[in-house]
Amino acid sequence: MIKLQNVTKTYKRGADDEVVALDDVTVEVTKGEFVFVVGPSGSGKSTFMKLLTREQLPDGGEIWVAGKNLATLRSWKVPVLRREIGYVFQDFKLLENKTVYENVAFALEVIGRPRREIEKRVPEVLDLVGLSEKSRAHPHELSGGQQQRVSVARAFVNNPRILLCDEPTGNLDPSTSVGVMKLLDRINRTGATVVMATHDQHIVDSMRRRVIELEDGHVVRDQSRGVYGYGG
Amino acid sequence: MTARWTYVIREAFVGLRRNLMMTVAVILSVTVSLTLLGASLLLSEQVDLATDDWTGRVEVSIYLCDDRVCPAITPEQQEQLREDLESQEVVSEVFYESKQDAYDRFTAMFADQESLIDAIDADILPASFRVRLENPNLFNVIADQFSPPYPGVEEVVDQREVLNQFLRFTNVVRTAALVVAAIQLVAAGVLIANTIRVAAFARREQTGIMRLVGASNWYIRLPFVLEGVFAGLIGALVSWGLLWGTVPRVATSLAQDIELMPFIGEAQVIAVGPWLLLAGTGIAAVASILALRRFLDI
Repeated sequence: MIKLQNVTKTYKRGADDEVVALDDVTVEVTKGEFVFVVGPSGSGKSTFMKLLTREQLPDGGEIWVAGKNLATLRSWKVPVLRREIGYVFQDFKLLENKTVYENVAFALEVIGRPRREIEKRVPEVLDLVGLSEKSRAHPHELSGGQQQRVSVARAFVNNPRILLCDEPTGNLDPSTSVGVMKLLDRINRTGATVVMATHDQHIVDSMRRRVIELEDGHVVRDQSRGVYGYGG
Repeated sequence: MTARWTYVIREAFVGLRRNLMMTVAVILSVTVSLTLLGASLLLSEQVDLATDDWTGRVEVSIYLCDDRVCPAITPEQQEQLREDLESQEVVSEVFYESKQDAYDRFTAMFADQESLIDAIDADILPASFRVRLENPNLFNVIADQFSPPYPGVEEVVDQREVLNQFLRFTNVVRTAALVVAAIQLVAAGVLIANTIRVAAFARREQTGIMRLVGASNWYIRLPFVLEGVFAGLIGALVSWGLLWGTVPRVATSLAQDIELMPFIGEAQVIAVGPWLLLAGTGIAAVASILALRRFLDI
């Protein structure tokens, strides 16, 4: 489902100062897996996620996502790739002037889905994330955990094959985080591949899923049913 | 399909309303530039109209001697001149304009400038033969044969030369108007580009989400482009209205003073409209697309 082969990514900072974000990274994630990507800030987690949605292109190596070679993917086909990927942000990125329902419907609207499908699918997903009763509320009326569940609903409403979560619990307290993790786990069980970048040791340790640890742009650990640190 | 267009159009209007001051500035700027453009187009029309009329009427004047510059033409010489002119193959018609005829035409032409008329004696303007040619470009054939020392002729004047001087003058005016219109149009384009960029920036959160959920490029951009095009369209309509309201009136009042030539009317103002709409929407579309090219790249 996701495959990185000897991927390198460097950022230029000034004329001859370079930062190596990823250095010769090779990783494969198969269909239906749940993977944590862990590591300290600056270890390359964000770059890893951005490469998968083709927000950025690698300097070297090959990336395959949902059967597409991102290096050779035409730019006008990038939207087609992104319809296979749901994306959940640390800061939710909900539109404040839209209701919960409208925020979720927006993701289908803007890819040109027919209204009938939207009216059927949005309530289903809101039910899945347990927010049916809040569909008319605006984001500022919700708690952080609720907002993140709306964000998950928006990412998943299109039935993507891959769900990418960038620190989804970063802005949440531990008990709320558990609720969001349960939701991601449930989505994973429907067959979606979930890749989650996180700092949250407690969550990684309690889920016991595959852990890929990055440090200074290298994969220093790739362990199935892992924990956050060696000592954990 | 309908749901898509509802979205695109609704978003375009949201942008226009949120950014009302900028929208007004864009509309005004487009209005000014297109009014100038329209005015210069209409001036061209007017010149063409007058030129066609005049080239059909005047071609060559052969002024006759009246003792002022050369000894006055005798009736025999005058009769001979007429016969010689009429026998020329290139000549299609010959009229005689007496001193009185010339004076009458002069007073008619400058009816509103009495001081000028008072300064001119009825006697001072020369009599002439006015000759219309089969082909106006064959002026030299006539000039070569009938210029002095041809007896009794003071001067042969190609009236088209007079007309050409007038045309050169109107061309300068027209070109100046077009240049100013072009500069204004570029300024309007830059203003539109900037406005659209501001609008795109204000909605970057929304467009960012759209990109990540896989909205196609045109779907993200079209509301912004439409926003610009709509402002351009309004500006074009206003300038069309302005021209429509003023030009026919000005032409009518001029036509009362100047009977020498025909004037453009409403028909020409209406005909110029589609070009204004095309220019207004076109410049807005190009400016918007250029503004978004780098901003909203995938």
